[in-house]
Amino acid sequence: MLRASQRLLRATRLRTGEVGSRALKPRFASRGLTVDLILLFNTFNGLITGAFYALMALGLALILGLNNTINFAHGAFMALAAYFAYTLEPHLGFWGALIVAPLLAGAVGLVVERLLIRRLYGRDPLYTLLLTFGLALIIQDMIRTIWGATGVPLTIPQSLGHPLSQTYFFLTGYRLFVVAVALIGTGALFAILRYTRLGIRIRAGNADLETVSAMGVNIYLLRTANFVIGIIFAGIAGILAAGQLGLDPTMGDGLLMPAFVAIVVGGVGSLLGSMLGGLLIGAAAGITTSFYPAASEVVIYLIMALMLIVRPRGLMGQEGLLE
Amino acid sequence: MNKEDLKEQFQIDRRTLIKTGGAAGLAALLGTQVTSWGASEKPIKIGMVDPMTGTYAALGHSEITGAKLAEAEINKAGGVLGRPLQLFVEDSAGNPGTAVDKCSRLLSQNEVDFLMGTVNSASSLAVSQFASRHHKLYVCTGGHVDSLTGSDCKSTTFRTCSTTWMLTAGDFDLLYKKFGKKWYFITPDYAFGHALQADYTKQLKKVGGFVAGAALTPLGTTDFTSYLINAKATSPDVLCLLVAGNDLVNCMKQITQFGLDKSMAVGGSMMELEPLQALPQTARYGWWTMEWYWNQPKVPHVASFVESYKAASGGEYPSARSWFGYASTHAIALAVARAQSTDTDRVVRAMEGLALPPEVALKPGQAVYRAADHQLLSGMYPGEVVKGGKYPNLFHVAEVVPGSKIALPASVSGCELPKA
Repeated sequence: MLRASQRLLRATRLRTGEVGSRALKPRFASRGLTVDLILLFNTFNGLITGAFYALMALGLALILGLNNTINFAHGAFMALAAYFAYTLEPHLGFWGALIVAPLLAGAVGLVVERLLIRRLYGRDPLYTLLLTFGLALIIQDMIRTIWGATGVPLTIPQSLGHPLSQTYFFLTGYRLFVVAVALIGTGALFAILRYTRLGIRIRAGNADLETVSAMGVNIYLLRTANFVIGIIFAGIAGILAAGQLGLDPTMGDGLLMPAFVAIVVGGVGSLLGSMLGGLLIGAAAGITTSFYPAASEVVIYLIMALMLIVRPRGLMGQEGLLE
Repeated sequence: MNKEDLKEQFQIDRRTLIKTGGAAGLAALLGTQVTSWGASEKPIKIGMVDPMTGTYAALGHSEITGAKLAEAEINKAGGVLGRPLQLFVEDSAGNPGTAVDKCSRLLSQNEVDFLMGTVNSASSLAVSQFASRHHKLYVCTGGHVDSLTGSDCKSTTFRTCSTTWMLTAGDFDLLYKKFGKKWYFITPDYAFGHALQADYTKQLKKVGGFVAGAALTPLGTTDFTSYLINAKATSPDVLCLLVAGNDLVNCMKQITQFGLDKSMAVGGSMMELEPLQALPQTARYGWWTMEWYWNQPKVPHVASFVESYKAASGGEYPSARSWFGYASTHAIALAVARAQSTDTDRVVRAMEGLALPPEVALKPGQAVYRAADHQLLSGMYPGEVVKGGKYPNLFHVAEVVPGSKIALPASVSGCELPKA
């Protein structure tokens, strides 16, 4: 730990330049916020961020699994749901909007799947990738046309917008709520997939779609349902993101990549893997920030690259799936 | 259907796709703008590149709306030299490469006489170079980096918005005197951010203050928590936010949620109406500099400008960006009228030392394009964001600092223009 603290001080000095370095050293001691504590804070905070990445990754992983679609429009759907929530919030309140807006986004997803994505099943995944990439641009422009290019504020309930303790100021009710939703969401999805007929079919479809179809399951309906559930998850993640980030038409862009990385690291086809992947990259980014903030964004891609070299299927991915 | 069949089908489809895609792309490329002018006089054409999509779309929108308002006003008053003024607007998406491509198209297809625009520094520098190479006048609306009218200045480039130095000098005194000498910076990790931090640091040093630390944040950072943890550990007097646009919105939102704005003063260099609009009421706070503000009851012509802008934009209030677009367009028209020509050299000469008339300047004091480096020197508006304010009353201007008082002299900024 001593070496870690020295490294941190050195890193801080690098960042502050000559002016700050002399003044910085005694400050840490006098404040009672020790270097170890900062590291702990950052790790802890990283896990919170990671839970959020995981939440975003869930829907994406679901759609990737059964619909065989790399959904580049996932971020755009997040933003769309958040804008729906922004419009609904004055009428339904935050909680009402949190429930209704993802369903609306899911309805849009339903139309998109029925009219567009369905036509491309059975083709190379590149086709749906291009389609959803285009869709992302269209949705973004649609948002810009309807709600304007200037960002809009989505208000979160006053009761959640406070830090729970002065020392652990980064622990707000809202962030804990996000973590809870991520955990509950994963749990619920797991339960659906494990115990319901729909879930069992989805999993069976993941494994062998043709056989499932031959056994009399309407796989088109199944895939539609799966896509809509995925978009609803995107919607929930989008609204929660808009609570702590600015809501503007491009919001989804920045959120999409960490979600993809979480899936690749966690393993395609495994929801638990996506969850773990999210937590892992979140924590890694948090720890990196303690030492060298400028690298905190790069580190998640570094982890992804390492994972692809060492274990291409990811932490918990199925062997051979998109490997 | 066996695999071979499928494959063949793919190929045909792919070709069709490429063909259709190519045709659509070509159509978009060749699509010419329909001109609404049926006048017999040849119009004077200004090509404007500004982001209509991407992160800077909101800022670009304001600049474009301002420029269009100026175009309409000028034409209503009979045009320039008896000729109509025509504005061609292209989307730069905030990307320097795209900006230059679009400029090149504006020159070759639309045959524009002048160029203007761009929200961000990188695009401005790229367009400035392009314009210089093609010997066209370029008026930069909104890229603030010092070097544009400093070490990288060009004889054909003028700038309406302020320099990064002026942004920091605008509110430094206010922040320093009011809150103290120990500062922590949240700095975006690119040229604009580095320049701002260096400028503030220089001024801090001069008066005996010091930098408690700085976090370099990558552009597009969504979660600022870990940087804020590091910042809080040093308990600075002033938490100075140099991030802009969406990053600023995210950062300020998170600071209030963590309650940090209660334990330290939060402020920064540039504040704009657009990000303030995007913030929830509780996250509106702090001390900043604006470059123009719509509520200036004592300055003539401002109220009527605000009214006509609102009418043109469907009720929006003009921001500093709107003013950049508005003033730049008028400045070009004024310079052309003064030069009695659209020849680049003559217009450049006419623009050097051009003082904007009050109905264009819309600021107290003078607004002059300095001949030595082509930088517009006009007032800066340090002040406080109205806590929990409601749109459009979001900013309280503490004072208007004359640009000539805080701008670095051209001899220091490193600009050497060839003598005309």
